[in-house]
Amino acid sequence: MEDIELKNIWKEYDRKINEAKLLNMQSWALAFRTFEYMQAAKAKSKLNALRGLKKWMVFAGILWIAFLLFLILNSLSFSNVFFLSSLSAIVVFNVIAVAAYVRHVVLINEIDNSESLIEAQQKMAKLQSSTLQIARILFLQAPFYTTFFWSQKMIAGNWAAFLLVSLPVTLFFILLSVWLYQNIKLTNADKKWFKILFSSREWTSVIKAIQFMNEIEAFKKESL
Amino acid sequence: MAADKESFLQLIKENKGIIFKICNSYCHNKSDREDLAQEIIYQLWRSGKSFDASYKFSTWMYRVALNTAISFYRNEKRIKEKVSFHEHITDVEDDTKASITEEKINLLQQFINELKELDKALMILYLEEKNYAEIAGVLGITETNVATKISRIKEKLKQKFLMTNE
Repeated sequence: MEDIELKNIWKEYDRKINEAKLLNMQSWALAFRTFEYMQAAKAKSKLNALRGLKKWMVFAGILWIAFLLFLILNSLSFSNVFFLSSLSAIVVFNVIAVAAYVRHVVLINEIDNSESLIEAQQKMAKLQSSTLQIARILFLQAPFYTTFFWSQKMIAGNWAAFLLVSLPVTLFFILLSVWLYQNIKLTNADKKWFKILFSSREWTSVIKAIQFMNEIEAFKKESL
Repeated sequence: MAADKESFLQLIKENKGIIFKICNSYCHNKSDREDLAQEIIYQLWRSGKSFDASYKFSTWMYRVALNTAISFYRNEKRIKEKVSFHEHITDVEDDTKASITEEKINLLQQFINELKELDKALMILYLEEKNYAEIAGVLGITETNVATKISRIKEKLKQKFLMTNE
């Protein structure tokens, strides 16, 4: 088969398309005349949906942080030292996550489809893949959810229970969260625990985005 | 504004073939193709202000349409299925005799569907007879890289055609 034959098949395909008198495309173009269509298309736009989701995450994050700060400010006393330090740590991790989501909204606004495919797709894939980085950071807050109810009174009152139950649970969560932080990466995407943890459709698209970033890098390389 | 819309509609009409072919190459079922076509038209309208008249219109249009298709393709849950030429051209009058050409079009479309996203874009541009400089401009790689990749993909396609003929 010659090059010209490939192009001729494509031309024939083109001719057949132009022959088709009732292409849906024409009706879409006609429907485009109406303002309602523009609004519907805007709402349906994938990028707008992603922007909306990120804004919602920022909003929910701010509300959660505000609630935590309210609890902190209403519990300022030395007797609540475990509660205050645990909640403060959780606030720090959530502030980092909210800042990352704000950055995502900025990145979405910067995505320009008229840029070259490599530039635009790299930005898009980078945006999706950084969601995994946020998850890694948020896992680090897990141990603090096992310490906020500690108190000097509780420790002194039941020293054995503290040593045998509370402390091991917290140590377990510290080890688990640090391990997850270190091991949540694409090279582990084929592992069973990774698939269980990130099995939802949203996460699948994030994993695909990371894989696509690697594909883009390979595509950019000139090979002979 | 109305004049803008009219001239935009005219451009869409003139280029509906390429939008249609991009949708067919990146989506495997009819409803996804319709959604993608709408998304491409919306993105072309939205990106209109970024069009720099010193560049070729087709380069800009291919960039917007292919970027939209690739982003859409990666985000959609896709069902891998073999689709026939008749399903692609949904409203073609029914022609019961499937000619050899139609079979070849079907095969070429199927082989293009099987390529990776960026290779697919490259091949569509090549088959649309864009020169290497324009393809390099749309993709953001060098002309040498374009030439090397096209030759590799063409070889693959030819092999596939040969295998189906055996």
